[in-house]
Amino acid sequence: MSTPVAVRPATEPATVKSGPRPVERLTGFMPLIALVALVAALTIADPDFLTQRSLTAAARTAAPLIVLAAGATLVVLCGGIDLSIAALASLSTVLLALWLPDLGGLATPVVIVVAAAIGAVQGTAHVLLRIPSFIVTLGGLSILSAVALVVSGAGTVRVVDDSPVKWLDLYVAGYVPMSFAVAVIVVALIAVVLKVTPLQSWISATGYSESAARLAGTPVDLVKIGAFCVSGACAGLAAVMLVSRQFSGGPTMADNLLLPAVAAIVVGGTAITGGHGSVWRSLAGALVVTLLRVGLPIVGVPSAYEQILYGAIIVVAVALTLDRSRVSIIK
Amino acid sequence: MSAVPALEVRGLVKHYPGVKALDGVDLIVRQNEVLGLAGENGAGKSTLLKALVGLVAPDAGEIYVRGEPVKLRSVVDAADHGIGMVFQEQSLVPNLTAAENIVLGSEGAAVRRGIYRWDAMRRLAQEQLDKIGSHIDPLARTDTLTFAERQMVEIAKVLRIEERSQHPPVIILDEPTSVLESKEIETLFAQIRRLREFASVVFVSHRLDEVLDVCDRVTVLRSGQSVGEVATAGAVPRELHRMMIGSTGSDDHYHENAAAPVTAEQPRLSVRGLSGKSFHDIDLDVAAGEIVAIVGVHGSGREDVCRALFGAEPTTAGEIRMDGKKIDLPNTRAACAAGIGYVPAERKIEGMVGSMSVAENMTLTKQKARCTGPFVAPKKQATLVDSWIRRLSIRTPNRDTAIGRLSGGNQQKVVLARWLVGGDIRLLLLDHPTRGLDIGARSEVYRLMRELAASGVATVLLADSLEEAIGMADRILVMNDGRVATEVACPSGGKPSPLDLVKEMV
Repeated sequence: MSTPVAVRPATEPATVKSGPRPVERLTGFMPLIALVALVAALTIADPDFLTQRSLTAAARTAAPLIVLAAGATLVVLCGGIDLSIAALASLSTVLLALWLPDLGGLATPVVIVVAAAIGAVQGTAHVLLRIPSFIVTLGGLSILSAVALVVSGAGTVRVVDDSPVKWLDLYVAGYVPMSFAVAVIVVALIAVVLKVTPLQSWISATGYSESAARLAGTPVDLVKIGAFCVSGACAGLAAVMLVSRQFSGGPTMADNLLLPAVAAIVVGGTAITGGHGSVWRSLAGALVVTLLRVGLPIVGVPSAYEQILYGAIIVVAVALTLDRSRVSIIK
Repeated sequence: MSAVPALEVRGLVKHYPGVKALDGVDLIVRQNEVLGLAGENGAGKSTLLKALVGLVAPDAGEIYVRGEPVKLRSVVDAADHGIGMVFQEQSLVPNLTAAENIVLGSEGAAVRRGIYRWDAMRRLAQEQLDKIGSHIDPLARTDTLTFAERQMVEIAKVLRIEERSQHPPVIILDEPTSVLESKEIETLFAQIRRLREFASVVFVSHRLDEVLDVCDRVTVLRSGQSVGEVATAGAVPRELHRMMIGSTGSDDHYHENAAAPVTAEQPRLSVRGLSGKSFHDIDLDVAAGEIVAIVGVHGSGREDVCRALFGAEPTTAGEIRMDGKKIDLPNTRAACAAGIGYVPAERKIEGMVGSMSVAENMTLTKQKARCTGPFVAPKKQATLVDSWIRRLSIRTPNRDTAIGRLSGGNQQKVVLARWLVGGDIRLLLLDHPTRGLDIGARSEVYRLMRELAASGVATVLLADSLEEAIGMADRILVMNDGRVATEVACPSGGKPSPLDLVKEMV
């Protein structure tokens, strides 16, 4: 049935201005500006930095972080947070190392699927039991870490024959690390899928105002579970990258990536309150974080200070990007 | 009466993006007077009140307290000048005692060296309660008190500003009667008359008869301006109402001549014995093209019935039929699929996604309308959205503008359009669709409702005011305490009076 509604000429002129305000435009480019500034600063501190060798090394380091951050970004966009990504990645390295001898090339997809399933289980618990995602994934972090310790026998699992994952440690055109290329492809894939389907609308609506999304008939629960599922899959893929580089799996191998991943998301400018941001931003954020990481020794700061840096980055970045007008009570 | 007014406002102006909330308001509150403030939704009442207690900084204009110009930067600032407000949504902390609530924020003698002194606190609280002659136990937990009692506690709390400013206070009561029963209203009015002995009172209410009953004088606001002042002695509500809605409202404000005749066939929506947490045994029929309003006081359960019909509120019993076919509504998606649309009362929180564009908001529900297969088709979306922007004359720079930048009326039209773009809407549930809109925007929403009804859409309306319900509806259901109290026919030319309805509501 169509609903004919008469055309009436607009009687008042539009009183609203179009386009984002200058401040919003600036924050949109902030991660890129930070990236360029960092490269410039590091080059000044050490003219040798801007060489193919060190850039390649940095890209290789960044790859697992990019993938982890990209997946978790989806959860943040939905208004939640996934604290279990690093623990899940660690567990996945162990599983991959254990399964490689038997499954060979199949081990990679199997591990990614298992990680995705674990993510989906956490998402389902969050949605069905109505537990805040922060709590579910904090619990998940603890449980998954313990499982990783148990199945690995609390030690590193060596990979004797790493040929099935060796391809990830190769170089495209001689100097672009394969893992970095894969990471960028994953980010592009997620971004494109969101853009060309209703998912972008659904995720934004869910993250910005869940009740509005629900009352508009958006499949809020499915969207959230899906986000956790992708986040899990990305943790699995990050684990494959780590194993291909280190020839082993370890129960705490990826644990120190949690803070950098969260830092990458917020430095990219994705709102921690949900609804606003993108995986591209997290890619830029991950590069910023990686450059800081490799840059600290260059400017002579001991790497023990790294954690202080991540803590400070997260707080400052959120302070800069948080839309306080929307948050009436800070808990 | 003393010559210097207790409070005076001159030429107060406040802009919000796209809206002029206050446009040069003048107001005088004399000492020991009860001043009524009347005006429709969106007339600027709440912005004015917020400016008076320092919650809103005006763009221009002056506020004088006892002849002295003041700048009010916060509630504390206003309290120091002797101005206090009893908020519409109560501001007491439920898990504290009445006494704690009364002294909260200005503990004074109740705290010595950082330690609570319960005796002193109880005395302080008792002093305030004595001022209004209330017998509430100061040590009762606030959440054990009734709404009316909590309101008394709140008034007692506000009266502490008397000690603070060392002057007769100005007490602002924002819609204090909206959730009270008639007996409680009487008590409150006695209280207001008592307050007049030592204070000035600004009283805001939707119910004009109340305003005329309790106030000495009424100032009427319309579109952010003071349009008149009435001495209440001998005045009648109709006169006030005419001033409130202005001349534009007098001739067919509700587009009654566009009302479509309803042909009684099989009802579009048929509800039998629907029960839920706050409503019981609801029967409701709405024919295609019919507008049925549900009226009732706060707590009557009408909002929950509306949400239940959209699958957003669980039901325990009953049957819902659409065009004769029984349907289940376990969630909102099922309702959307059944051709039911819902416009929530809280537009900014529940109705729209403020960060998203007009186009995204409009197509949020009916994704199919803008997609080819699983993919968004940008051209299809542009054509669709632009055609609805034209048809509903939505004033927006373009379809990609964030909806948050539009004026309230245009936002509401986008939210309505969301249900129309799919072309399969059969039943519209409108929960206060004109809340916070100015007169022009409201009139446009009314016109839209008429046009949709004429095209065969069935409408359930929870109106903002009784006048609106009577003006728009073909039939009115009166709900009281979760049940349908009565049903009143409301045809064009034979409209019931608000008083007839109020009788059944309380």
